[in-house]
Amino acid sequence: MSIDIVAFIADAIKMSTPLVFAALAALMTRQAGMFNMGVEGMILCSALGAVTGAHYLGNVWAGVACGILTGLLTGFVIAFAHLSGKTDLYLTCIAFNLAATGGTVFIMYLLTGEKSTTSGAFRSYQIPNINIPIIKDIPILGRIISGQSLLTYVAVFCVWFVWFLLKRTRVGLRIRSVGENPKAAESVGISVKKIGYIAFLFCGLFAGLSGTFLSMSWVTFFMKNMVNGRGYIGLSAQNMANGNPVGSALVSLLFGATSSLSLTLKSQSNFPTEFLEMIPYLATIIAIVFTSLYSIHRKRKIEQGIK
Amino acid sequence: MTEKEKKTVVETSGTAQKDPRRTDAMRKTQRIEAIMEIVRIVAGMAIAYIVALLILVAISDDPVFIVKQFILGPFSSPRRIGSIVNLAVPFTLCGLSMCFMYAVNKFNLIGESIFMLSGCIITWVALAIGQNMPAIILIPLLLIVGAIVGAVLSFIPAIMDRKLNANVVVVSLMLNSVIAQLAIYILRYYMKDPGISFIGSYELPKQIQFATLFGKMRIGAGVIIALIAVVIVSIIFFKTAFGWKMRIVGSNPKFATAVGLSTLGISFAAQLAGGALAGVAGATEIMNSYKRFQWTASTGHGFDGLLVAVLAKKNPVLVPIGALFLAYVRIGADVVNTSGDIPYEFISVIQGIIILLVAAESFLSGFKNRLIYRSVQADKAKKSA
Repeated sequence: MSIDIVAFIADAIKMSTPLVFAALAALMTRQAGMFNMGVEGMILCSALGAVTGAHYLGNVWAGVACGILTGLLTGFVIAFAHLSGKTDLYLTCIAFNLAATGGTVFIMYLLTGEKSTTSGAFRSYQIPNINIPIIKDIPILGRIISGQSLLTYVAVFCVWFVWFLLKRTRVGLRIRSVGENPKAAESVGISVKKIGYIAFLFCGLFAGLSGTFLSMSWVTFFMKNMVNGRGYIGLSAQNMANGNPVGSALVSLLFGATSSLSLTLKSQSNFPTEFLEMIPYLATIIAIVFTSLYSIHRKRKIEQGIK
Repeated sequence: MTEKEKKTVVETSGTAQKDPRRTDAMRKTQRIEAIMEIVRIVAGMAIAYIVALLILVAISDDPVFIVKQFILGPFSSPRRIGSIVNLAVPFTLCGLSMCFMYAVNKFNLIGESIFMLSGCIITWVALAIGQNMPAIILIPLLLIVGAIVGAVLSFIPAIMDRKLNANVVVVSLMLNSVIAQLAIYILRYYMKDPGISFIGSYELPKQIQFATLFGKMRIGAGVIIALIAVVIVSIIFFKTAFGWKMRIVGSNPKFATAVGLSTLGISFAAQLAGGALAGVAGATEIMNSYKRFQWTASTGHGFDGLLVAVLAKKNPVLVPIGALFLAYVRIGADVVNTSGDIPYEFISVIQGIIILLVAAESFLSGFKNRLIYRSVQADKAKKSA
């Protein structure tokens, strides 16, 4: 059994792209004080939206636009239910994810007559991979950094963009202040509802990109339940990084590596696949345990310091 | 309940009675709120049902036939009526399980995979030791095994919630993926019957495959277990100190802490109880509706349970009604699926709408507030007259 380390790392980066987007999506609402589990369903809807748009409009970029639009729309739906309809956010998100799981299959069936995948009925479009001129010729680094999907580079940009948005712009400051203390924010004239909507729309943007990556770059078709918990993994990633965009991206990368490991092992060993399937989820749970332990430890230390 | 707590309760209710002016208005308001709660649920279900009909009309080639099938199809034969009840059995048990989680406001969704693994484990136990055991011993034994599996599994997210303050929703969802794979592994490597064309275990011992009741309706004996569970859970909820504490913790955690209840401990215990019930649900479903364990993917019963608990407003007494409604809609979707061109999945959109409408505080809240306002105004007018 031999594992190509370079290919493994390149794969890990590829696998972590949707997780980075998912983490950023969850991060935007978290910064506004809302724990949005609906990311999972939003990504799923966007993935279907992207392939459908690309098929009917006959263009890759139209597909990307449709994916993002679907993300924004789903973000608006959850925001409307939670902020204007005053539903419990957890319940809303669980309901939304359930509806998305079945609803995407339903819409896929109406459009294609298929219930499991669109690969036969829809033309496949792929977002181009980018070969960066000089870097691609560097021996090992070239194979890792160059030749990734365009959206992977967009993800890197988005990490910076989210950091900039939150730390350097007025909207970002308002989002954070609403998340920190909604009543205080309201008392100085910030509309909590409006900021909530803005946060959800940003969340929708990133969820849309995540879904688009899944159905137009990772593979080139939509598949029933293809998100498979990635939304939740991204959500935990940003939770572990405490809402820091760069940290979230790094944790997502780690989770991407576990998925990549599970895939590599599946093709190279005869270990029961069921256990390999568990790896990404188990890794998430273990990571949650350790980060929680660490934060409890730190809290205790701070309390001791105060005494 | 300690003596001190009892005293507080007596005192608060006492003061309320001493102030007749206040109780009267309050009682009226409470009554309006209770009625509106029911109106809201019914209205939510009705709207979702109408949306379902509109979807059917919009996408079907023969809308009149399809709509008729959807509404009346489930009642068209005794067999179908029976299958509504049979489907409602796991929904009821899972709904009761989620009532516990929901009552303490912990959306612990581990019930989803408990249901699957419990079915798997009891099949394994029954195959290993149950071949010659009489049903009267074996069935309770398997139910207990299922409950233990459920309690043990729900222990993991519950303890992480209690000790580590980890998000119980995320942890339970991740665990669901892990446990579902574990159940498939056990099925494939330890009890797969090579003699059948699909992946499934060896056949369960005959004596635990539940008998069917009511002749042609073929309702499984599992319905008895479900009814017993409803009675027991209702007693726990409304007649014991634990149920009372649980409801306080769920509805007002700050008050619960202030009167000295252990919020963490009670919600922990409630989650274990809920998990055990989900285990019983999985065990019952296997014995009630299957000859073998043959689930190779998560069944969705945990989420159905949440839906039922939401419909029943965490009230165990109402759970069977919610379960029957859900089963009726599902069988309707099934009938439509087999007799027309409508995919079964459209029903999941409808379910989402139901949860949202029932959960939305502002849905019909203007109407409710107007009713309360009017009753208070009428009171005032009466007094001044």
